[in-house]
Amino acid sequence: MNRVQRLLIASTFSATLVVAVPVSADIAVVGNAGSGIDRLTQSDVVNIFMGRYRKLPTGNVALPVDSTTLKARFYRALVNKDLAEINSYWARLVFSGEASPPQQIATIDDVHQLVTQNMNALSYVDGGQVPDDMHVVLMLSE
Amino acid sequence: MSRLLLLLHTRLALRTTAIILMIVTLLGVVFLALAVYLRAESVQREQQSRIQELLTTVERTAQIGCFLGDRHLAQEVTDGLLSNNIVSAVSIDASDGTTLASGRADPEGEPADSVVREIFSPFEPETSVCRITVAPDQDFIDKLVSQASTFIGGALLLQLVGIGLCVVLVVVRFVTRPITGLSHRLSELEAETGQQLQAPRGNRDDEIGQLVISVNAMIDNLVQSLGEERRLRLEREVEERRYRAIFDNVEAGIFELDSAGFVRSANPAFRRLFDMATGTDLERHPVAFAALVGDGDGATHAFAVDDEAGGYERQWEVALDSGERQRWISLILSPLETGRLQGVAHDVTERKKAADAAEKMAMTDPLTGLGNRRGFDHRLAVMARHHRLYPERCHALITLDFDHFKQINDTYGHQVGDRALCHVGGILAGLMRQRDYVARLGGDEFVVLLEGCDQRSDVEVVLERFLDRLRKPFEVEGDIEIVIGVSIGIAMVGLDTEDAEQAVRFSDIAMYAAKRAGRNTWRFYEPVTQS
Repeated sequence: MNRVQRLLIASTFSATLVVAVPVSADIAVVGNAGSGIDRLTQSDVVNIFMGRYRKLPTGNVALPVDSTTLKARFYRALVNKDLAEINSYWARLVFSGEASPPQQIATIDDVHQLVTQNMNALSYVDGGQVPDDMHVVLMLSE
Repeated sequence: MSRLLLLLHTRLALRTTAIILMIVTLLGVVFLALAVYLRAESVQREQQSRIQELLTTVERTAQIGCFLGDRHLAQEVTDGLLSNNIVSAVSIDASDGTTLASGRADPEGEPADSVVREIFSPFEPETSVCRITVAPDQDFIDKLVSQASTFIGGALLLQLVGIGLCVVLVVVRFVTRPITGLSHRLSELEAETGQQLQAPRGNRDDEIGQLVISVNAMIDNLVQSLGEERRLRLEREVEERRYRAIFDNVEAGIFELDSAGFVRSANPAFRRLFDMATGTDLERHPVAFAALVGDGDGATHAFAVDDEAGGYERQWEVALDSGERQRWISLILSPLETGRLQGVAHDVTERKKAADAAEKMAMTDPLTGLGNRRGFDHRLAVMARHHRLYPERCHALITLDFDHFKQINDTYGHQVGDRALCHVGGILAGLMRQRDYVARLGGDEFVVLLEGCDQRSDVEVVLERFLDRLRKPFEVEGDIEIVIGVSIGIAMVGLDTEDAEQAVRFSDIAMYAAKRAGRNTWRFYEPVTQS
């Protein structure tokens, strides 16, 4: 491999990196396209994901879903807390039974599937990769 | 109570202690009040800050409870807070006004200044989710305060007792004991022997030492003055004895008169002189000096001290007629002090007698015992003075001369002549009154002074009687008798002349006229015959 080829590969790789960073800049809170919800405030999202509200503004029981891969970024953006703090928060509530943490989904595909199939589901995806069949109710900037 | 007062009155240490304790107690009460007040404030503040700390401890849980509206969790927080003994009531109220949880530890506790903490959402720090109101337990606070007060009070009391004991000990040790010891030693000190007071050991250089030095100086002074006093007293006693010896044994009478003329003291000699009883107490029964001297009335003033004129020395002689014999006393009075006269009395009777005798002898004719020329001159001068004072009184001057006296002498000798002179002199003296005077001027010449003889007829009566007696024969010796003849001349002072000397000459002239008239007769002075 000559010197020019190596330079080309390197520049191509770095170009790929440069393009990828702006894509992961925001996190989009998404819901079912047919849920009837157009927009939610950040406060609404906090109340729903932290267990304060059990119902959506439409009156239906909310179903918040945590996407494991984005969870840390999401809570940092939403309430500026790390996962340990969030876990400790929920741990306090385990015995009271008044509220329960959101359902945990490991893969983005499963999240996609759950949100598109359930009218009342709410979750989040990377702001740059929002599928067309998901409705963005709030953009959280990081 | 009265015993305590007495004790305080008599014990310096107790009094000092009581006063100091009183001051310390007063200050202690003030300090205690201040301390309790400050302590209450600080306890209040402490409780507030503890409640704040408690709230901080449960804040996160409360945040979550309130955030979720979780009553169980809120109750958990409330119970947790109430389990602290400084909390009496807790209430958690959500932002919409509903009470999530509340509790009260002591239902009867008084409401105090509550601590209110606003609880914010755990995820949105600007959003208030509820408010926790915590009421502190006032009873507990009061208990704490009272505990602190009791401690401070106890400490102060202990301090008070300690100070009291210390003051008592210090005062007793450093003030009372030295002073008591000093007073004890002072009372046992025999100061008159010059013994000195010793300062207590350890007090030599302080105020007590100075006190001792002052006391010693005073003792020195006293001893010195005592010695001086004693010496003077001894001297005075000696003087007194000396004076007393003189006073008692001297021949002169010594006495004292007061301002009223009373004898206040007198020595034995004086008592003898004035025949006073030796036991007479003059201090108690003063005798008027004038009464002693004799002529009593009003004469007291003569011996009274005239203070106005000032005391001056006086001297005179008085006659005392004590019984049979007359005595003469010489008195000298000199001022002793105000209202006091000292007098010295001498018995001058002998001297007076001797003087009188000498004078009498000088004026007496040794042969007849009648007056002589000198006596006559003296008497004539007295009469002349008297006549000048009382010119209306007349006196007779009689001159007598023997007829042929020379023949008697020549015939019978001088002894018979002398006896004849004595005989005639005796007849004359026998006829005269007390105040008349007979003198032999010399040889056979006699003179008679009749005082107060106003009329010639009076003289004639006397002369008649004289010549009558003279006619009786005078026995010379054996059976020889002779009759003596006398020629007499009379001059009347006041009638013939006013001058006594001239009367002598006139009577002489009249006597010669009688001789011329045939002797053994009398003639009055007649101016006509003379001319």
